[in-house]
Amino acid sequence: MQVEKDDISGQQTTGHEWDGIKELNTPVPKSVIWVYALSIVFTLAVWLLYPSVPFGPDYFRGLIGTTSRETILEQVETAQATRAAFGQELVDRDLYALAADADVRARHEAAAAVLFNDNCAACHGTDLKGQMNFPNLLDDAWLFSDDPEQIELILRYGINAAHDETQYSIMPAFGHDGILERAAIRDATEYVLFLSGADHDRDAAARGAEVYASECADCHGENGQGNGIGAPNLTDGFWLYGGDRDAIYDSLNKGRAGVMPFWEGRLSDAEIRKLVLYLQWSRANGKDGD
Amino acid sequence: MMERLFLSALVALVGLLGVMIAGFGREAGYVLHGWIIVGFSLVALKRLLDTWSDTDENTPLEYNDAVIRFGVLATFVWGLIGFVVGAVVAWQLAIPSLNGDMSWSNFGRLRPVHTTGVVFGFGGNALIATSFYVVQRTSRARLVGRTMPWLIVLYYNLFVTLAATGYLLGITQGREYAEPEWYADLILLLIWVAYLVTFLLTLARRAEPHIYVANWYYLAFIVVIAMLHIVNNLAVPVSIAVPKSYSLFAGVQDAMTQWWYGHNAVGFLLTAGFLGMLYYFLPKAAGRPIYSYRMSIIGFWGITFLYLWAGSHHLHYTALPEWVQVLGMTMSVVLLVPSWASVFNGILTLNGAWDKVRTDPAVRFMMVAILFYGLSTFEGSFMSIKPVNALSHYTDWTVGHVHAGALGWVAFITFGSMYKLVPWIWKREGIYSLRLEALHFWLALSGTLIYVGAMWNSGITQSLMWQTYDDQGNFIYSFLDSVEAMKPYYWARAIGGLLYLIGACIGAYNIAMTIRGPRLTTGQAVATPAE
Repeated sequence: MQVEKDDISGQQTTGHEWDGIKELNTPVPKSVIWVYALSIVFTLAVWLLYPSVPFGPDYFRGLIGTTSRETILEQVETAQATRAAFGQELVDRDLYALAADADVRARHEAAAAVLFNDNCAACHGTDLKGQMNFPNLLDDAWLFSDDPEQIELILRYGINAAHDETQYSIMPAFGHDGILERAAIRDATEYVLFLSGADHDRDAAARGAEVYASECADCHGENGQGNGIGAPNLTDGFWLYGGDRDAIYDSLNKGRAGVMPFWEGRLSDAEIRKLVLYLQWSRANGKDGD
Repeated sequence: MMERLFLSALVALVGLLGVMIAGFGREAGYVLHGWIIVGFSLVALKRLLDTWSDTDENTPLEYNDAVIRFGVLATFVWGLIGFVVGAVVAWQLAIPSLNGDMSWSNFGRLRPVHTTGVVFGFGGNALIATSFYVVQRTSRARLVGRTMPWLIVLYYNLFVTLAATGYLLGITQGREYAEPEWYADLILLLIWVAYLVTFLLTLARRAEPHIYVANWYYLAFIVVIAMLHIVNNLAVPVSIAVPKSYSLFAGVQDAMTQWWYGHNAVGFLLTAGFLGMLYYFLPKAAGRPIYSYRMSIIGFWGITFLYLWAGSHHLHYTALPEWVQVLGMTMSVVLLVPSWASVFNGILTLNGAWDKVRTDPAVRFMMVAILFYGLSTFEGSFMSIKPVNALSHYTDWTVGHVHAGALGWVAFITFGSMYKLVPWIWKREGIYSLRLEALHFWLALSGTLIYVGAMWNSGITQSLMWQTYDDQGNFIYSFLDSVEAMKPYYWARAIGGLLYLIGACIGAYNIAMTIRGPRLTTGQAVATPAE
């Protein structure tokens, strides 16, 4: 224990030494003490103003008497009111009139694009062209009607969705559920290839025609043009789940029941309309999607 | 005798746990874990039998450095694993298809391998190894126990192995930085208590009248990690046949317990422990006394008291009651001053030795480490203020903040210390190549700056894009737009991480060549403990 003076700093050591390490006894700078005190004063002030100290099952509410939860709820309410006011015309006016009104488009298109990208683009793509298993919204193939009001219903209630009003588009699993023999499915596959104008096995397709007539024609129509309420046209060259032999066999064997979620309750009426209009505007940009 | 009894029980218990998991387990990954536990236990058993008759009386009076050498090697092995996986996930974020479309190689499973590899593998081994070195030298006492320290290091690495492999196999309890399931947690609990006892008994037989500051920090690290680990992992296992367990807490209590743990793992493992390292290796390397004993006291008690309150700032604007958020925020703000007291104490210790920052890359590593500690601890207090947190939370700013601390502070102080420690414990003349050491420094520094700069930019960009509305109250940007905007930053981050990894590889090579190099030949006296 030997207190020494350090020449460089002019401070004395504490007299301790560990493995050659010594310590200076430098006083704590006044500024450090002041800032420390200041931060504690700040803390006490915050405790006084905001909810802070618990006692029993309750807690001190703070002199300001507000919480960040209340503040944010107010802000959300204000924002929703603003949005509702701007969106009111979309709900009040006739959908066809809205679609034809260039001013409406100018007012709402930018926000509609963001709405689409946040809610729809994950499946349908930011370019609206869809992807495997998810429909292209710009082409001319429609499972249901292309009428804006019908599209609005699909947005609102979905397809194969968990909503009472939802519309159904279900392809039965003919093989998986044992409705048809595998050979019959293979034949029907050839017939569908024939309907779509693709290369096919003639004999098998001939046999498949019978299968088609008894099992498929009710929905897809005698000539494969579909029914416009969920059963696709098999002759138009548009394929949601793929149009080659394996994909068609898969559709017949395991069935298809793609889901479009319902948006009622998750998006406001005005927002749903905004999306319907966005689809119209985007289609107007280029019918073929280019 | 006590030691041998305790260790026999420890090895038997852990070994039995492994056998039971391997025997009753119904999932392949879980059974594999059982066998890994059995394998480590067999090594432990061999070590126990080999040293069965060793006592302090019949072994030469010298510091126990062999176990530290093992710990240093484990530090570098886990460090490289952690850095490589970190670089992989960084590239996955820049180029998502790099996830390989396999369950085990996706971001969600690899990311905890990275965090565990660096925090517990690299950081934890570095702390255990240096704490054993520092407590012996500054107490002039050799480690208590001849076999215990070995088993601590061995079983600790068993824990890290179970953790790191568990994620890939899909075994996790889904608590960030506490992902390992109950059986791994039990093993860590046992050896952590053994670690605490070893450290305390070694301190108790010190030949110095006072306990050196570095040991305060190491002790705080050990005690608090024990407490955090136990409380946050209170869970009920479903059965010996499956790894699954259920937490004792639910809802917001569960979230609060988790972030009380998470924040203090940062506070006591990544901060207090490494401050212990700083307080020994910096004055030792600089050859200067600690700037102020009084600042040490303010820094230590301030950090120890305040950190434990600050965890709730991870849950601002959540279901957590607001008064808990406010308390957490204010404690985080006060925490700044004692944190910076340590920063000034470190920097000012260099007064009179600033030339060494230029000539000795190890001192340069330590000096920059302190600066990054100061930066990230200021940033942490700043980000805990609620309105700032509203901007920073859930963005890459958090990631940048963590990496300023992890890359710039934790790893820099570790590298600096290791470049000093390795020649000492392997009794080498010095490091193999000072030029490679300097190259490592510059690669690590530029990697860190690129990484952190990229994340600051991406984080603030994200936050602003998410909060920008038009006059109708609609979003101007969709979430997808903000993802698109991240591309350049994610590339920059991946490049920064790669530079850091290359630096670490050069460092590991330099350390390996030092170890393979010639032993110290000059007749320097070898330090010996007093008892």
